[in-house]
Amino acid sequence: MSTPEPAAQYRLDPSARFRVLDGEGIFILQGAGEVLVVNGVAAFIVERVTAEVAFDEVVAEVVARYDVQPDQAEADAMTLLENLVEAGALAAS
Amino acid sequence: MSALTFELARQRYAVENLSDAHRELVLSRFGELETALPPDPLSADAVRLRIERSLDTASFRDRPPGPTEYRLSVDYDVDGVQVAGVGFRARIDRQTLSTHMVTCRDDAWFIDGFENLFRVVVAYRSFVSGSLVLHSAAFTDGERGFVACGRSGAGKSTLCGLAKGLGLTVLSDELNLIRPIDQGFALQAMPFAGDFGRSRAGSTSLPLSALLGLQHDSTPRLGGCSRAQAVSRIVASCPYLNADPQFVDRVTDRAVELVQRVPLRVLSFALDTSFWKVLDHEYPRARSAVSP
Repeated sequence: MSTPEPAAQYRLDPSARFRVLDGEGIFILQGAGEVLVVNGVAAFIVERVTAEVAFDEVVAEVVARYDVQPDQAEADAMTLLENLVEAGALAAS
Repeated sequence: MSALTFELARQRYAVENLSDAHRELVLSRFGELETALPPDPLSADAVRLRIERSLDTASFRDRPPGPTEYRLSVDYDVDGVQVAGVGFRARIDRQTLSTHMVTCRDDAWFIDGFENLFRVVVAYRSFVSGSLVLHSAAFTDGERGFVACGRSGAGKSTLCGLAKGLGLTVLSDELNLIRPIDQGFALQAMPFAGDFGRSRAGSTSLPLSALLGLQHDSTPRLGGCSRAQAVSRIVASCPYLNADPQFVDRVTDRAVELVQRVPLRVLSFALDTSFWKVLDHEYPRARSAVSP
């Protein structure tokens, strides 16, 4: 498992599925047989980073869409991605 | 060698090439499902399970020492699903769901393995026919069917124990089937053993009145949850298929359809029977039973 970094590229883990329903994100982790639900902001971040949008750009989009300071948005986004990589939902390269 | 035909949730299963010992064991567990009609070799409607006895004991997973629960090994490939457990291995063909089980056992390990395999086959066949098999606890007051989905540790068996104490009828605390009908969904227990025991084989269907998630709390109540949360609870409760790359998207689609028609609500309950007052009040009585 690699540690996510701002410059990393993120993609859905090959054993995971992701879809958005009513703004929330659903990860289905087939290997573990588990399902994760993430809130709307997290779903937005996942959609953007897996669409190969650069991390800094995603953070800027989050700041523009939601009432959050840049430093906080960056820290929260990084924590989210770390957690999703650790859970096996995303892969970082 | 002989054959048996079973009917379960409107689907037929033909178990073939049975030795006398295997036949006796299968009947001891699933005899209530047997139909009078023999398997029709030309019939495509019955899923076929062929049992092959092997003398090569070394090539099978050995029995663990002492009584224990073990995890079934299920692997998915393009054409089939491979299942293996103590003393057996099997392959389920994706196109026909025809199943070939090879076993080196003639004892209780055989029938336990057969039951485990049968669960997988039934889950696939039921899904293909439009239903969903859920890890769940289900009970009824004779008119209304309540099903609470959840994985091990969610409180399914606990809830069933409390329901039984109230005089309600427990369907299953392990696997239950939800089948679409004209006016909603029907609920039916699957005859597979759970912590609470084995549900009666061939049980009839009931109207599904309540689709529930479970949560422990000191105060009984019903809470709403988002559709995403509801779908996640359903998908997480769909054994085998939720881990199958060729089925997981369809399972999710079906879960979305289900929660659109029957909202999932989260039942908070404590270790007492106070939850029933909440359910009894919140869900109106069904007007008629559904035919099996």
